[in-house]
Amino acid sequence: MAKARALDKRRKSIKNIRKITRTMELVSTAQFRRAMERAIAAKSYTDRIVRLVADLARAGLNAEHPLLAPRESKKRAALLILTANRGLCGGYNSGVLRSGLARLEELRREYDEVELVVSGKRGVSFLKYRHYEIARSFTQFDDKPAYDEVVAIANEFLTRFRSGDLDRIDVAYSKFTSLSKQSPVAETLAPLTSMTTEIESQSAEASGEVEYEFLPSPQSILEEVVPSAFKVKFFKCFLDAAVSEQIARMMAMKAATDAADEMISTLTTTYNRARQSQITNEIIEVISGASALQ
Amino acid sequence: MKCVVVTPEKTVVDQDVRFVVAPLYDGEYGIDANHTPVVGRLGAGELRLTTLDGAIERWYVEGGFVETLDNTVTALTHFAIPVDALQLGKCRAELERALAMPAHSDELIAIKEEAVLVARAKVRVAEKQAKSK
Repeated sequence: MAKARALDKRRKSIKNIRKITRTMELVSTAQFRRAMERAIAAKSYTDRIVRLVADLARAGLNAEHPLLAPRESKKRAALLILTANRGLCGGYNSGVLRSGLARLEELRREYDEVELVVSGKRGVSFLKYRHYEIARSFTQFDDKPAYDEVVAIANEFLTRFRSGDLDRIDVAYSKFTSLSKQSPVAETLAPLTSMTTEIESQSAEASGEVEYEFLPSPQSILEEVVPSAFKVKFFKCFLDAAVSEQIARMMAMKAATDAADEMISTLTTTYNRARQSQITNEIIEVISGASALQ
Repeated sequence: MKCVVVTPEKTVVDQDVRFVVAPLYDGEYGIDANHTPVVGRLGAGELRLTTLDGAIERWYVEGGFVETLDNTVTALTHFAIPVDALQLGKCRAELERALAMPAHSDELIAIKEEAVLVARAKVRVAEKQAKSK
């Protein structure tokens, strides 16, 4: 009887784990929906900002702004790594950390000092374990990062960048492209050199669309649009990270649930076989006992 | 005429209006129906919407842009709350904090000036709202 009972026990524990993974899958599905809605809401703002930049470019503006110009000095850079607060989300955290650390090495070669800022408990504990020095860490961002909180950080970075305390700001996070594709990336947010090329390519194809009147002037609008673009990009990193995390967790938990299902079914078969052979054995014993008495 | 106010978090206003007053960088700017296409830089201040039934809605917005095109006024701003939600005490404290910021280099002076400007606008709007009550 011992073997069948042990099998049954194992099957029960797997069933319990399956219950947990299944629940986590459902929870992360709900959180993913919420995170996704926010990402879509942010998109309408981002799209309009991009369109505005295009309109500015058509007005024949040359892009000059302290945030756009490449920096000569290479004293101090900051790297922000966005990880999750919790595990059980497959390769999400390790992927982001790997790309983050690769970027950190690059920055260290180029700049005198590199400041490491980390969001998420997972990243903090990983980096602490490896004896990296963390300048600041955040753990308050989960499935729905608040714009106020993110922008407070963005403003701080922006102020330090403008005052010359920082020469470069990079972010390592998981970029959300589609439901089936999220990839860990490291991007440079300041200086925003990518925007300069955007503006230039837009003005090159200047089409004859609506002619706007700019109040007070295109230059002044640019002054405002650049920090806005930086902040919204910064915010988008957090949103993307949140969405990707939930997707990663959803996938990981789905895989775990499926694996548990499979295990349960093979264990059930083995258990039934063991039970059956036990019963057969017992019957043989009874019959042979009875026939010995005859 | 339609008015849309968008922040990075959500669309806060999307409704038909009669008239819009936008707080531009250097003064208020009124937009009536059939206005010419304009892109304006918003400062911190009060955005007033006259709704179809003549009521006035007040929003406090902070920076961003206003754009009119095809009888649609779009305001892109990073921060928008109903004026009622502003707390005068908190706004005053913010102004004090801004005034206490260090200013010993050109960049820091610019940053401080901006913070003071925003905080002053906030206090002004909040005071106006407190008086009208």
